[in-house]
Order: sequence, then structure tokens, then C-alpha cells
Amino acid sequence: MSGRRLPAQTGESLDRGQPLEFRFDGHSYQGFAGDTVASALTAAGVNVVSRSFKYHRPRGLLCCAGHCPNCLVQIGDEPSVRSCKRALEAGMDVQPQNAWPSLDNDLLSLTEAASRFMPVGFYYKTFHRPRLLWPAFEHVLRNAAGLGVIDENTPEGDYDKQYLHADVVVVGGGPAGVSAAVAAVDEGARVLLIDENPELGGHLRYSRPDAVAHARIVDGQQRLLQSGGTILNDTAVVGWYEDHWLSAVRGNRLFKIRAGAVVVASGAFETPSVFAGNDHPGIMLGTAVQRLLHLYGVVPGHRAVVVTANDTGWAVAADLLAAGVNVAAVADERPQLPVGTDIEALQAAGVTLLPGSTIAAARGKSGVEEVTLVAVDGSSGSHVVRCDFVALSTTWVPSAELAYMAGARSCYDDELAEMRLDNLPDGLFLAGRVAGPCSAEQEWLQGARAGAAAAGNTDDLPIAASQDVQATARSSALVAAPDVGGDKRFVCLCEDVTDVDIETAIAEGFDRIELLKRYSTVGMGPCQGRMCGLNGIRLCAQGTGKSVQDTGRTTGRPPVTPVALGVLAGQKMEPVQLSAVHDWHVDQGARMMVAGLWMRPEHYGDAAAEVRAMRQTVGLIDVSPLGKLQLTGPGVAAMLERLYVNNWQDLRRGRVRYGIMCNDEGVVLDDGVCARLSDEQWYVSTTSTGASGALEWMEWWRQSGWGDGVHITDLTETHAAFNLAGPQSRALLQTQTDRDLSNDRFPYMRARRADVAGVPCLLLRIGFTGELGYEIHCPAGYGRYLWQRLIDAGADFGLRPFGVEAQRVLRLEKAHFIVGQDTDALTDPISADAAWAVHLDKDCDFLGRRALTRIATDGPRQRLVGFRTGRRADSLLEGLQIVQSDDRGKPQIIGWVSSCRFSPTLQETIGLCWLPAALAERSEATFHIHVDGRLEPARVHHGPFYDAEGARLRG
Amino acid sequence: MLRLECPNCGVRNTSEFRYGGEQNPRPTPSTEVADADWIRYLYERRNVMGVQIEWWYHRAGCGIWFLVERDRRSNIVARTWRWQPDGAAAAEGSHSP
Ligand SMILES: [Zn+2]
Repeated sequence: MSGRRLPAQTGESLDRGQPLEFRFDGHSYQGFAGDTVASALTAAGVNVVSRSFKYHRPRGLLCCAGHCPNCLVQIGDEPSVRSCKRALEAGMDVQPQNAWPSLDNDLLSLTEAASRFMPVGFYYKTFHRPRLLWPAFEHVLRNAAGLGVIDENTPEGDYDKQYLHADVVVVGGGPAGVSAAVAAVDEGARVLLIDENPELGGHLRYSRPDAVAHARIVDGQQRLLQSGGTILNDTAVVGWYEDHWLSAVRGNRLFKIRAGAVVVASGAFETPSVFAGNDHPGIMLGTAVQRLLHLYGVVPGHRAVVVTANDTGWAVAADLLAAGVNVAAVADERPQLPVGTDIEALQAAGVTLLPGSTIAAARGKSGVEEVTLVAVDGSSGSHVVRCDFVALSTTWVPSAELAYMAGARSCYDDELAEMRLDNLPDGLFLAGRVAGPCSAEQEWLQGARAGAAAAGNTDDLPIAASQDVQATARSSALVAAPDVGGDKRFVCLCEDVTDVDIETAIAEGFDRIELLKRYSTVGMGPCQGRMCGLNGIRLCAQGTGKSVQDTGRTTGRPPVTPVALGVLAGQKMEPVQLSAVHDWHVDQGARMMVAGLWMRPEHYGDAAAEVRAMRQTVGLIDVSPLGKLQLTGPGVAAMLERLYVNNWQDLRRGRVRYGIMCNDEGVVLDDGVCARLSDEQWYVSTTSTGASGALEWMEWWRQSGWGDGVHITDLTETHAAFNLAGPQSRALLQTQTDRDLSNDRFPYMRARRADVAGVPCLLLRIGFTGELGYEIHCPAGYGRYLWQRLIDAGADFGLRPFGVEAQRVLRLEKAHFIVGQDTDALTDPISADAAWAVHLDKDCDFLGRRALTRIATDGPRQRLVGFRTGRRADSLLEGLQIVQSDDRGKPQIIGWVSSCRFSPTLQETIGLCWLPAALAERSEATFHIHVDGRLEPARVHHGPFYDAEGARLRG
Repeated sequence: MLRLECPNCGVRNTSEFRYGGEQNPRPTPSTEVADADWIRYLYERRNVMGVQIEWWYHRAGCGIWFLVERDRRSNIVARTWRWQPDGAAAAEGSHSP
């Protein structure tokens, strides 16, 4: 037999009528549809797929099951693809990783010659000193390490998420899983069966074809689908979270699954054993050889050595023999050869069969060329056998990650030399190989039992004893092969950690499994301990003299398998709220900005012109994002008294008052105006960005004892709000309403209901911007109509719409602070120049009273105060530090700028800043703002910059 | 505890809720409470390793605040209920949210 591709195999996944061309490392190859990248490479005779992480040793396929690091490749712009799981596509450009300049001639493999300078823990030792050189080391390490190349020009992928619900989720589509799913659906449960492979069958897909077992899978699948069950193929369950909340990934989609109960039927996987040169390309797991052989009709070489400790190895050897491969030798760790047809076939073919033996060393240049087989007890001499690949069927590890995440405990079974599970949480069941070795019949019975139990049937269903299977299925008890010298003995292939590294780390005191992992990096690579976990634990146990059970295991966390960050991110989608007038703003060319949850117009092209228009004639701004709460009931005034620092009991009907809400530390949480519409009906506004927080805060106090006779209705989203302001605002508004707006009938700080352009509105005569103005609140459904009517009517009055930027300038000219802009999580109202609002003489206890009483007594240390510069100073920005030289001439930070704008009205740059109280109290005192090493002077200013008496507001 | 029972709406995903911290009744009247008690109320959370009574808010649901008795070691919730004025332990609400 010359080629590696066999004639068509029963059950293979290939479409041999459809050849596919692809490239690897610059060479062209051909595979078939149905191949994985790895199986096509194997068929093409490629042995070396990658270079290792630390020593850049050549590596070939190991597990063919998506666990190990060896087959990671770059495909086009996608790094770290597991080539054994990725379906081959025509034209794929596959590149090796960790190889420079090429896979065959990798210069960094020289690092192995320097390996004595890279001892275990070298991350912590070698590069630690001198500290000055760390940037250089880091540069070298970053280039040498890493897996693949990120292409920054890659277009963003389309990712999404889907929520699923099921009474019973079965993880694993092998015989046990299918059986469990059928049993659960028979009990009437909504069942979701999830399998990582393209089709159901589990180990039946790649083990020796078994028509009876295969028919049972097909039948089970039909019954499941007919009964309304759901099957997700090609889907990996990557996390278990509380209350049986599962995450799973298929392609670019993340599933979030709420399960009533979970059956884990995820089987088991093999891991390699520890011997000299155990990383040579061609040394692979027995199940990997079976997958290549039965799924893809490929053999990895022509002369095999099989090493085993149980009966699976004999099946591998017999299958290879039947496929025409020259089996050079089979070594079985057990002292007696088992009996059976597989053995008989091998004996008949004259294969060397070595009981009580195992592999101790492998040698070769770019792949294994010969191995040394020795007696496990060292009793007899060794056999050197030539071969071009090795199948290792020695050790099984249950795929129990999900069960561990769910809180199951591992307990090491010394007889089996395998981890078992106990302490399963409620609603989580195991079935099949994950629970321990079992026969084909046991898999079905266990699955049926687990599926029925997960669906709520607590009857004791029959379950066959597994005693008979254990002897033929046990794992190797050898921690490592007898030491015959020679090459490195790798434990962790991801990170190139050897058994000597583990011993050294233990000797250096890192003798707890979690410490050992962090220090030696064993299990920290792409396989996340799947290939090396058990060997690491057993070596740690051996090195410390503890039992494997007492050594424990490292904590398993999601994700079980690597997940692309895009999958976690999902759709690029940020929900925003739009006001009723949003489309108009956009049509008018407004520059929109995100403000809290809302999209708001920042300006309509010229914010300074908007400021001037509003001061001279009239302006209109959409303030719909304001928090708008309707409070009703006899207890409202009393509750507001306790929540705000202001007085409310004395507020008469039809009046409006500005209020500040603090917490018990005296910190400003929110501000706004409250209008008393009738004795028991109030209308409260909050800041736009703090609207939901303020509502939750008020609701909490209302619902926990202070809310007697109070009902809160949130009108924030149901009502639109506009602020019509400027000298012409009254005249303009009067054209749209019959309500008498004269100053006598509707003075400053009053609330009135009125029909405006036929729309029922609440009008608040308030003046955040410092001009005569009306805040107009109406049901959001009328918002667009009313806005248009005001715009149309405003044409005769010089009306100009203005945005958030103009509003910020306008309020700054009045020296009004903005909560969250000029205040932070330590700001009290007394320091923020709003002591006038705080009524410590109230006859009720209120939030912040104790803290504010103390601040009022001691006096604030820092104060919020205005400043002016007398010039245009565009270099002054919000957030800049204010500095002052100390006694020795060293500049010290004494404050900061919280708001700063050029005022078109005053023709100078003004702002608000925090200064030491003593300095802030001195009007006209000069201080300095630090700008890029320069000091810019500014002067303290008290009170509003514009219309200090407020005549324009009240007129 | 990725599901929580709202006393109003029943069992829902915790993503619908906002956590409000441990129950921490406000000493009253605030101006007459001893400094030590006031500091404890404002700044010192008990952070128990065990059963805690805590506040939750059904933000994406009905908008009620309610109390939850939860074992912080196991996340097992023993009960959820709305605050009652006659509840001795919660006479004046708390500072938590
Ligand atoms: Zn609710």
C-alpha cells in the first residue's frame, strides 16, 4: 500500500466524488468533501502540522477530537483553528502557527538548545531582572509566543444569540445520549439533544462499524424528532451555570439555554502517556487513529506500534491490520494478554504481542522512526521497534467538565486508574462512558434511566452492573513510563512542560495542584488541561507522596472549549431611546449624540448661533429625556419632605419649586423641579441621565416604609417635553393657546394646564436657561405634531431650535450646575453652592439631614464656584487641574474644572470649578489652571454670569 | 440563583432584576443616633458568609422592591416577600440601594 488514503470505508463521511484543492504552508494538496483539514493533511502525507509553543518542536496530530494544541492552524485570517474539527473547503489557505520562517526550518526551534535558560517558572525567574530590560524581553516573548496572527482588516462577522428552553437537555449524541433523549421525550418532556458533531452516534461514528448499534441511533433520532424533540448538531455546550443555565456555541451563534434538568452524556476521551520523546509527530491517541481510519479512510502511516492498557487498543490494532497496515508490535501494560477475536487475528498475522509492556521512548527526526518498548516492571530487556506511527490507547478521562462546573466532585478510582464523579447536584444526571466504563447495553440502559429521571420519573429502572466491563476498560496506572533516558518527557504539550519541570516546581515548593498549575503553566494552554490534567495530578501526587484523590484537581470553569470573542459579544447592537421628535431632528441635519439611554440633538450646525438666537428672540429644545414622574395621594408631600432637602409641605397649588435629592451621606443624587398640581397630585422631574436611578430610589423608599398614601407613575417615556425659551417665548406661545400667559396670571415658578395647539399640556414656567421660558409637557403621541406647530408659529418670532450644547452654555451663563457633570459621588449641596435649598430646620427627618447638619456646622472644604477668564481661552477644558505653588515652589493640585465653555453672550470663556473654600469665597481672586505644563489664569466669580438679578426670568 | 421569584410575577431570570444590597434598616431619627450606629448603617456592610436578607428590584418587570432570604454559600433562596409595615426587622427601610 503506497498512499495513505484507503478504499471507501463503511460509514465514512467522505464524498469521494468531490475532490477539493487547498494549500498548506505554501504547497497545494487535494482532499475530499467531508474531510477535515487535518484528515486531508494526513492523507496528503503531512506529518508536521505545527511547532510547539516554547521549544518550537515539530508537532503532528494527537487527538483528532478538538482537544489538543497540536493541530492548531491559521486559515486565511482566522488564527488558532482546530484543523481536526474544521471541515475542508475548496481553496482554503492553511498556514502553520508558531513557525518562522517556515514549518520545516523554524529558527526559533533553537530555543530548545537554550532550554536550560528557560526552566520551569521561567516567566517568573528569567525575565524578572534586570527590570530595565523587561520591555526588550517582552518584545521578544510577544513575537515568539502567541498563537496565530490577528488580521486587523478582517471584516466584522455576523454574530447572534438565541434563547432556548427545554425540560431536559441532553449533552452528547452518543448511544447513552440518544437513549436518554428518547426516554425523556417518552415521559412527555420537551427535550433538546445537543451534540458537537455533524451527526449523532458519538463513539459509534469512529469505532468499528456496528450495524445494530447504528440502527438504534437512527431509530432513536426518528423517535425523538417525531415526538417534538429538538436536535442541535455541530454545537458545543461550553458552560453550565446555576439553575441549569447552559451556554452553547454553533458557528457564530451563542445559545443561552434554560434547562429543567440536564443529562450529561458527553463520553470520555483519551490522553497521552508520559515517555521520552512522546511528542514526536506520528504519536497519536488510539481514538485519533480510529477517527482517521473509519471517518476519513486515512491511515497516518504504514507501520504501526500500538500501546495500550485496555481492550480498546486491541480493537485499534486489529482495525489497522484489517486496513492493510503493517502492525509492528502491540504492547499491553497488563501482565496477561486478553482473549478475543482481535488478539487472535493479530496473532495469526504474526504481530509481536508484548504483555506487561509499555512504551518508554520514541526517536525520529521530523516524525517517529523507532520506539523502545520495555517491561513495565523492568524485569526483561527492551525491544526497539521501527515504525512510522504509534497509537496510544492507555488512559481514559471522562468528559465531565459540565458536571464539575455544576458542583460534582471528582473521586479517583484507583482500581480503574480513572476519575469518577459523585456529589451530583439536583437535576443533573450522568449517562454512558462519562460515568465510567460500560458495555453497549449498559450505555442504553443508563441513558434511558437518566433520561426518564431527568423528566421526573423516579422509578428504579433496570441498570446492568458494570463490573464485567471494568477489567477490560481500565486506564493505565503508570504515572510515567520507566525512565530509559533520552529525550524530554512531555506532560503538557500546549506549554511544553515536562515531568522534570513538574518535579522541579514541586521541589521549589509549588506542591499544591493549583499552585503547580500557575507556576509551571501545566494545563494553561489551549487544551486547558484536557490532555495533561490527569498526568499532572498523578505526577503531583507522586512528587508529594499524597494520593491522587488527596491531590485534588484544578477548578474547571467555562468555557469548556475556546469561544470566539465575537460569539460572546453577539450582534453589534446598542439600544437607544428616541424622542417623539427624533426624525425631525435628523431631517434638520442635527448632529445627534448619545446622552444616557437617549439620542439627543447636540446642535443643528451652529451652537453659538443657537445660544444667541435664544437670548435675543426665542429658542426651542427637545427635553423629552427628562425624568417625568406623577405622584398622587395624600402622602406625597410628606414623602417628598423626606426624600428631598427642600421644604414641600408649604408649596401651594399651582406652584413649582426646584429640589435636590440627597442620600444619607449628604451626597447629591438628583435634582429637578416639582410642581404641585393639586393637593394630592404632584409632577416631579428628574435629570435625564438619572431618570431611572431616581425612580428606583424613590420607589424603594416608597415601598419600604415611607410611601403611605403615595402612588408613583413614571411618565418619562409616555410624555414628550419641550422648553420654549427666550424673550419672545410668551408672545409665541400665546398664539397657540387661549390660556392667559400674562405675567400676572402665569408668573415665574408656576404650573398651569393648558391646551396648546389643541394638545392638552402641562406648562411649567421655569428658567434653566436664564430667559423667560416655558417647559411644555404633553403625551408623547402629540409630541411631533406640537413641535411642528411651535416651529411653524415661531417663524414670525425668529425661533431657532437649539440642542444640548447650546443648553449647556446657556445654563453655564447662569452658573447652574449639572448633577454628574459638576457634582460627583462626594458632592453635597452646601459645597455645591446650593445651601439655600437645604432646610435643616424642617420638622421631619430627611435623607442627608445628619450629614448636611455636620457640613453646615464645619463648613465645606471645597466649593463649587464660577470663574471667568476675560478672554477666549479654548485651551481650557473640562477636567483640567487647578494648581498652586506650595511654600517650596512646588505646584500642588488644589482643584479642578468641572464645566467650561466660551460664552457667545459674554464673549469670554467661563466655567465652574472646585476650589478650596477659602479661595472660593474671595470674589475676583486669581488662580491658575494647568494646561499642558502652562498655567492659565482665571478669576473667581460669584453668582450667575448673566442677568444676576434674574429679571429676565421673572419679567 | 439565576432565577428569582418575584412575589408579583413569579419565577424570572435574574437578569430582569436589580440587586439592592443587604437589608440595612435606617436608624431614626438620624440626628439622635449614636455615631457608632450611624457609621455602621452608612458604611459597614455585614457581608455574611451564610443566610442574608437582601433587597431586589424587578426592574424589567413589575417594578416592585422585595426581600429575599438567600444563603450566600449555596445561593439557595428560602423565600421572597414584599416588605410589610409590621415587619419588626424593617421598620424604617434601609440605605442599601
Ligand atoms: Zn415582578
